[in-house]
Amino acid sequence: MNVPLIELEAVSFTYPDGPTAVIDVTLRIEPGETVVIIGQNGSGKSTLVRHLNGLLRPGSGRVLLDGHDIHSVHVAALAARVGLAFQNPDRQLFAGRVASEVGFGPRNLGVRGAELEARVAAALEDVGLAAEAETNPYDLGLSRRKLLALASVLAMRTPVLVLDEPTTGQDARGVARVRAVVASAAQEGRTVIAISHDMRFAAECFGRVVVMRAGKVALDGSPAAIFAQAAWPELRAAYLEPPLPAVVGAGLGLGSTPTAAALVAALPGPAGEGRGRPPGRAGNE
Amino acid sequence: MAALEVVAAFALPGWVGPLIVLAAVLTTAAAARRLRGLATISLAASPLVGSILLVNLFLLPGAADPIARLGPIGPTWSGLWFGLQTVARLMAFSLAIGLVYLTTAVDDLLADLARRGVGRRAIFVVGAAVQMVPSTIGRAGEIVDAQRSRGMDTEGPIWRRARGVLPLAGPVVFGALTEVEERTMALEARAFSAPGRQTLLRVPADPASHRVTRWAAILAIAVIVLARASGRLG
Repeated sequence: MNVPLIELEAVSFTYPDGPTAVIDVTLRIEPGETVVIIGQNGSGKSTLVRHLNGLLRPGSGRVLLDGHDIHSVHVAALAARVGLAFQNPDRQLFAGRVASEVGFGPRNLGVRGAELEARVAAALEDVGLAAEAETNPYDLGLSRRKLLALASVLAMRTPVLVLDEPTTGQDARGVARVRAVVASAAQEGRTVIAISHDMRFAAECFGRVVVMRAGKVALDGSPAAIFAQAAWPELRAAYLEPPLPAVVGAGLGLGSTPTAAALVAALPGPAGEGRGRPPGRAGNE
Repeated sequence: MAALEVVAAFALPGWVGPLIVLAAVLTTAAAARRLRGLATISLAASPLVGSILLVNLFLLPGAADPIARLGPIGPTWSGLWFGLQTVARLMAFSLAIGLVYLTTAVDDLLADLARRGVGRRAIFVVGAAVQMVPSTIGRAGEIVDAQRSRGMDTEGPIWRRARGVLPLAGPVVFGALTEVEERTMALEARAFSAPGRQTLLRVPADPASHRVTRWAAILAIAVIVLARASGRLG
């Protein structure tokens, strides 16, 4: 049996003087998987991903990385394997130049010289901020500060990339950049885990969707399975709505069409390729 | 009461003042179930406590009763005694102020100030100052997490941790400034500076027992200050 890249075994976590945020969560994430975690605010998503790089330690259960329990591994050491981009860029930006900000993580990992410069340049190129290398981060708008925070984690080139609500507060161009980053990381074989409230982003950019409700995993499967009509009651119990193509597809009796591409493909007629395809087979694309 | 305790801690001579205040603070904290909060404040004050003890133990001017001799300098009994007394005063003062933070509901405080006719700008300053402490602590925790996620070592040797001062302090200070600016604009957007007297949403209860305690504390402060000024407390 293969060892998963990340394994959470019956993880529970309670904040001091607070609620139990994660309850008995078991997950296996394989190398190269793209996983999006969705759920209402307070469902335990952020708490869960903060276990992946040791910021939080489970009250009970275990977190394993490459089959090894990370309980006693320092966060600074885990940062070389798991990069976590926070939701609010203003909680991390401090440098006077965009390039220095992006170089902070790799420098902490011991990267120097030409390799450091190459990583910074590549990360800025990936998020479309190459022309802003000398700009003060606080002279950028919120959308671009978020992209900068993302670049600062990309430059660490960790095998696992965790993104906390990367599309929130982004304009259309920013969302397109984030989608490209996820696609590129997946193409490189990196594991991407994201938290999102953006159902379109979740359905179109990830191979696996995990739905959390009240600290537990309520659903776990492909976008086609999670956004299929049969799962809607569970989604709505988690205060989530399926993406529009899934609703339209179900209304037209085309089966599960979580993305616009899947919907178009399932449509009978000149625009679609689904003429003659039986309903329910469109799947995720 | 906190004001009385602070005055008593410094104005009453010898051990009497700080010990009475510490006993009063700890008893009140136990009744209010806030002993854990006071323990956290004590822990935060421990570097200062340690340095006060060390300085007085070895460097108290005029002390000539050595406990032991360590080369050119040596700890002295009078230095130890004076250091402990200073620490007791410091802790009495810190814990009395800390207990106010731990037991005062900000909403009640602000509503009471408004009821007494304090200006809305003054109330805003008091409210912002009081609320800034927990919000800054929360923000600082998130900033530490974000920088640790980028490999900043907060668990290694002290010289390595020292490199993290700028990455931690920068976002805390900038965030605090931004928050004040945003909060001010949000208040103005809700007619904060509108002319006329503000109405009250609720009036906090002020029973007779509270009023008697308050006036007794004010009277006691006046008595202690006058006695100290006239030299009757030594």
